[in-house]
Amino acid sequence: MPNLLTLWDLIPFALLLIIILLVVILFFKIKKINKLNLTLTKLQKDIEELDRQTKLILRTDLELNKTQEELDKKIIALYSLQNISQQLNKTLDEQGIFSCIEPNYLEDMGFEKATAFLKSPQDKRFKLMLNIGYNENEIESIAKEIESDFYMNLIEKNKTFSSNSVESPIKEKIKDLFKVNHFVISPILTSENKKGFIFVGTESSELTSGNEELIIILANQIIQALENSQLFEKTWQAQQELERKVEERTQELSKALEEIKAVSKRKTDFVSSVSHELRTPLTSIKGYASILLSEKLGKLPLEIKERLEKINRHSDELVQLVNDLLDISRLESGKISMKIEKLNLKEIIEGIKDLMDVQLKEKNIKFNFELSSDTEYVLADRQQLERVFINLIGNAIKFTPQGGAISIKTSSLDGFCQIDITDTGIGIPEESLNSIFDEFYRVDNPINQKIKGTGLGLPLVKRIVEAHGGKIWVTSKLNVGSTFSFTLPKT
Amino acid sequence: MDIGIGVSKNKDISSALKEVVLTARQNLNNQTPDIGFLFSSADFASPSLLKGLHLYLPKIPIVGISTFAVLFNSSILRHSLALCLIHSENLKLSFAKVEEVKKNDPFMVGYKLATKLLEGLKSQNRSFAFLFLSGIIKDGSRILSGLQEKLGINFPIIGACASDNFKFKQMYLYFNDELLTDAVVGVLFGGKLSYNFSFACGFSPIGKFHKITSSQANIIKEIDNQPAINLYKDYFGLDNSLLKNYLKYISTFYPLGIYLKEENKYLLRKIISIEEKGWLTCQTDVPQDSLIRLMISTRQSCLSATENAVKELIKEKINMDILFVFNSISHYSLLYRIADEELKTIQSTIKIPLIGVYTYGEQAPLRRYPAKTYFHNQSLVLTAIGD
Repeated sequence: MPNLLTLWDLIPFALLLIIILLVVILFFKIKKINKLNLTLTKLQKDIEELDRQTKLILRTDLELNKTQEELDKKIIALYSLQNISQQLNKTLDEQGIFSCIEPNYLEDMGFEKATAFLKSPQDKRFKLMLNIGYNENEIESIAKEIESDFYMNLIEKNKTFSSNSVESPIKEKIKDLFKVNHFVISPILTSENKKGFIFVGTESSELTSGNEELIIILANQIIQALENSQLFEKTWQAQQELERKVEERTQELSKALEEIKAVSKRKTDFVSSVSHELRTPLTSIKGYASILLSEKLGKLPLEIKERLEKINRHSDELVQLVNDLLDISRLESGKISMKIEKLNLKEIIEGIKDLMDVQLKEKNIKFNFELSSDTEYVLADRQQLERVFINLIGNAIKFTPQGGAISIKTSSLDGFCQIDITDTGIGIPEESLNSIFDEFYRVDNPINQKIKGTGLGLPLVKRIVEAHGGKIWVTSKLNVGSTFSFTLPKT
Repeated sequence: MDIGIGVSKNKDISSALKEVVLTARQNLNNQTPDIGFLFSSADFASPSLLKGLHLYLPKIPIVGISTFAVLFNSSILRHSLALCLIHSENLKLSFAKVEEVKKNDPFMVGYKLATKLLEGLKSQNRSFAFLFLSGIIKDGSRILSGLQEKLGINFPIIGACASDNFKFKQMYLYFNDELLTDAVVGVLFGGKLSYNFSFACGFSPIGKFHKITSSQANIIKEIDNQPAINLYKDYFGLDNSLLKNYLKYISTFYPLGIYLKEENKYLLRKIISIEEKGWLTCQTDVPQDSLIRLMISTRQSCLSATENAVKELIKEKINMDILFVFNSISHYSLLYRIADEELKTIQSTIKIPLIGVYTYGEQAPLRRYPAKTYFHNQSLVLTAIGD
């Protein structure tokens, strides 16, 4: 009988099989772990490699950031300098010049502290012009120390120096006094011999040459602004002096004018009074002469009659002269009463033409007038306006030779009507143009020598026109003719 | 809600104060303000400024900080003073301060501030809080934790640290007529008001992860068991002295990003100094065992992030009367010549009065509510408030 294997007999085999299986599994697990370890090592290597690349990125990025910041700082510093410059250009008082340096701008230029001192030739001590970043005690100590020869010598050298350029003992002395790590001191010397300096400093650990250059530019701009300020001060003082003189002269002239007015009034009053006094005896003289000439008191010998006629004629002239003088003085003193009304110019001129027609025909003078549509009416006193036309047209006839022409034209000008009376007469010499409206002035010409006149016609016309608020003037050319122009208010 | 903003660049403090008060009051239509936010550059920060303001506006709560520059509409105003007055019938407010931050446990400082703020608001509902801190805060996150312990872990806190002209010397807080240098000030907003906020960063991680193996508050001692400085030496190939010279670039352009696993985002930390032992001092705390990466940004990514923050802010339609901007001073350094582009980007979309400051640290949730508030560096936070 073959021995049958019992279950117990199989156990060793099964165990062996399990062990073999476990060994196989272990083998594969170990293999997997090794593989994972290899992957992990690879991953760690990759991470380290990535970290190495990170370092490269960071180092490059740091340099880029540093460069960008330095560039930005320079741009901002230049902006600040530009802003200060713009304000300096607009500032003309000494203290205001230094106030242009604001803490913001200073910081943007790389400094937190600044002071400036200035001394005029007449000053004994330096004057504080700028203080940024120092308290009262600190600035007092600085102000005391800078009076020493040491600082004056530095200024006299007229050279900017900084913590980068100055020797160590001096550098330390300045750093201690101004409580900074780095500094720039730039002298301020003006043509007016003002002396001083601007100091800027920082507690930070660096001072670039760019910063130093900016302060040199700033100091030069301050000097320029101070020069401008001094120039302005001088100009201003000169202007003040000029204004004072003008004021004085104006007062003197006003006083003189018042005196002239007083004298003129006295003259007007005198002329008015004398004219009145003359008119009464003149009326009597003329009256008696007329009675005698009428021969009601007896026949007169021819010689006496001729003399009496002369007395009568001269009396008429004298009465006209006295009347003109009286009118002028009335117009000057405003005593004349005018009835301003709406007058038709055409009607007035035609009336005058009729009045003068005989004289015009005698000399065969052409007379025409042309009125613009917008100057049909003027505001004036009828009687006075007629006197103006009579005088001016009368003069024109007087000085216009046979066969000449007189024309009247009107035009509108700024609410006024301009009337131009033009003749083809002998004209007025240039040197007389400014004087023809003066009282008793008569142009020296053959006609005036021949025909007598009072020299009061044109002055009277001028005063009438001015009493209406108008103006009168003349343009003339010898042997060609004259134009008298005057203005009157329109309706 | 009535808003009155006055801004002055007058160098004389009393003249500037008069100008801002008159303008702000005039713009407020002569309503009585409920609160005044005072922002100024350090040259204005003086007890006389606050005493003077208190005389002009007695009994009106005043809070604020000094800053490198005031942000006003689309302008960056250095050496200036700004006052923003707010009046609203619906607004409920509570104000508080805690002093001696450096001497005390930061967590307790935050907790104490929150307690005072809640006491001030009594039973009124609370919406969000403004937090102002005086400059460099070693353990800012712990102050926030103290606040969150009392106000709630997801209660929105928006904040800003005072800043100066990169010197870290003159950073002030304003609280009524007091000028504070070591304090925190809070304003708790309640009542029926609408508000929204958004956050922008603009930085992306670069390089592999590293681990903070030793740190204490805002000082990182070791990274990957090496002196912390080695990280920057290695990445930038610079020795210690060169690194110090390049620090202002490195700290602005390549801050550290602390990986927040739960948010899957990075919390930025700016390096402000390199210590002798190769330690790195940050603007605020960096927890030990944190995973960190170097962060990188460009001007374009910075502006794009701001643009996205604006879009996020207006996504939910609410009534907005005033926009507060708390912007990292690093954004100014990064954008520099085109820094005002950031404000123009905001103003081109949100056409309401904008007032803000440059900061040495910002506090804000990374996303909309419910979300925990973090202490950030190199970020921008927008907060819109309205009736």
